Order: sequence, then structure tokens, then C-alpha cells
Amino acid sequence: MKIGRKRKGKAEIPTSSMSDIAFLLIIFFMATTKFDVKEGIRIVLPQAAAETQQQSQSLTLTEKEMTRLQITADGQIVVNKEAPRFYESSELDMLIQQKVKINSQMIFKVITDREAKYNDMIRVVDRLKAAKIEKISLSTN
Amino acid sequence: MAKIKKDRKNETNIPTSSMSDIAFLLLLFFMVSTVFVQEKKFWVERERWPIADSIERIPRNHTTTVYVMRDETILIDDVPTRIETEADVFVSSTLIRKKADDPDLVVCFRTDKETKYGVMSDVMRQLQDANTLVVAFETQKRLD
Repeated sequence: MKIGRKRKGKAEIPTSSMSDIAFLLIIFFMATTKFDVKEGIRIVLPQAAAETQQQSQSLTLTEKEMTRLQITADGQIVVNKEAPRFYESSELDMLIQQKVKINSQMIFKVITDREAKYNDMIRVVDRLKAAKIEKISLSTN
Repeated sequence: MAKIKKDRKNETNIPTSSMSDIAFLLLLFFMVSTVFVQEKKFWVERERWPIADSIERIPRNHTTTVYVMRDETILIDDVPTRIETEADVFVSSTLIRKKADDPDLVVCFRTDKETKYGVMSDVMRQLQDANTLVVAFETQKRLD
């Protein structure tokens, strides 16, 4: 009687389709990835008043040292004590250049009315940033 | 009789065994470099942001986004809140927690351009309370 030998089958993992699976996954990731780059105007706020209270001193700044840019509720700008009026971006650039000529370390204080639009504040800060002004103060009335 | 040799055509093979290695390497790169956006919804559309020229790129990995909508609703991590009284300190309490996790935190504002400045001022005061002083106002780039 013939006794049949048990043939051991070779165990193999099929790898030929592995690359297909991997490429499929890559395509999925590439197609679903949405690059959300953040771009904007960066500003460093001063520390809270309570922390700096001891160090703070009351300073009186003259117009030569500080320019007040007050934004009214309807978007007009009051420069120091001048009459309020609407400023084009180019006019703002000119104004900033004039002030920097007077004092290269000029501080710009942007006082925005609580009812004014956020867009008006950003427009002014953008022009200041474009003129490479570092000393910008943001406040409200 | 002379034997006529058959022309043996050489089989051309492209080695594909390492293909999966390359593919997995690429896959790993994508998986590692992907940063998932935490917010589920884009609360203020890009078209509603103000337009500016002097914008700079902000590295994403240390940022948190604060949405301020036109109706003065503030959203941090998809949680809506409002600042109406001194007791509404959700913004500062959330940011204190975030600042503890990441000391280099940058707060990015995605504010509707029509929003009144008053609410922004209130939010910034709470930012100062939370000692998160680096902020960025996200804007659209002016296209001329």
C-alpha cells in the first residue's frame, strides 16, 4: 500500500498588490489634505495692567513722540487734534511718512471706537505695519 | 542537418518589489506631516476677513484660532461664547489652559470685517488676563 507523503504547502503572503494599496492610501491623503496656511498681521500685546502697575509711570508724551489716530464709529480718522475725515490708504501712507520724518521712533496710538468696524482698525494697522512701524498701541474709548 | 537556433528574446522586467517600500515611505511622510485642523467648521469665511498688504506667515503648530462673528459671538474650539459682563471669562480661562500646554501660543483671530471693535477689545483684554500676548489678525492678501 502506498502511503502518500503529506505535502506541506508553502505559506506566502501575497505582496504584489501591497503597492496598489499603499498608492491608493497616498492618493486618498493627497486628495483630502487641505493646506491651511495662516497669514495675517502679527502684534504683541502689552502685559495686563495689574502686572505692570508697579513699574508703570505716568508719562506725558508730546505730539513729537506720539501720534494719536482715533477711528470714529463711521470710519473717519482723527489725527491728533485735527478734524475727523476719511483717509485713503495712500493718504495714510503719506501721513505716516511725515510723522516718521519728524521722529523716527514715533509711537502710533490707534484708538478705535467700540462701535467702529474691525476692518477700519485693520486698515490703519496694516498701513503702519507696511511702513515698518514697531511701536503701535491699540486701545479703545 | 544543422540546427537552427531559435532567437531567444530577452524578457524585460521592471523590478517592482521595492515599489511598495517607496509607496509606504511616502505614505508615512504624509501621515507624519499632516496637521489636523481642530475646528470642525470654518465659522467666518475667508471672504469675510479684512484685506491687508503687510501680512506675514504664521507657523501653524503653535496657533489657536478664535473666531469672532458679526453678531459678536466668539468661538474657541467650536464652543460659542459671548462677553457681556465681567463674569464671562470663558475666553481667558480657555486660553490660560492652552497657554499652560503651549507657552509659545499665538492666538489667531478670524474676525468678520464688519464686526464692531468693542467685542475685539473685550477679547484682547481677556487675552492679556490669560497672558497670551502674541496675537495675529488673519487677513486676506490684497490681489492687485
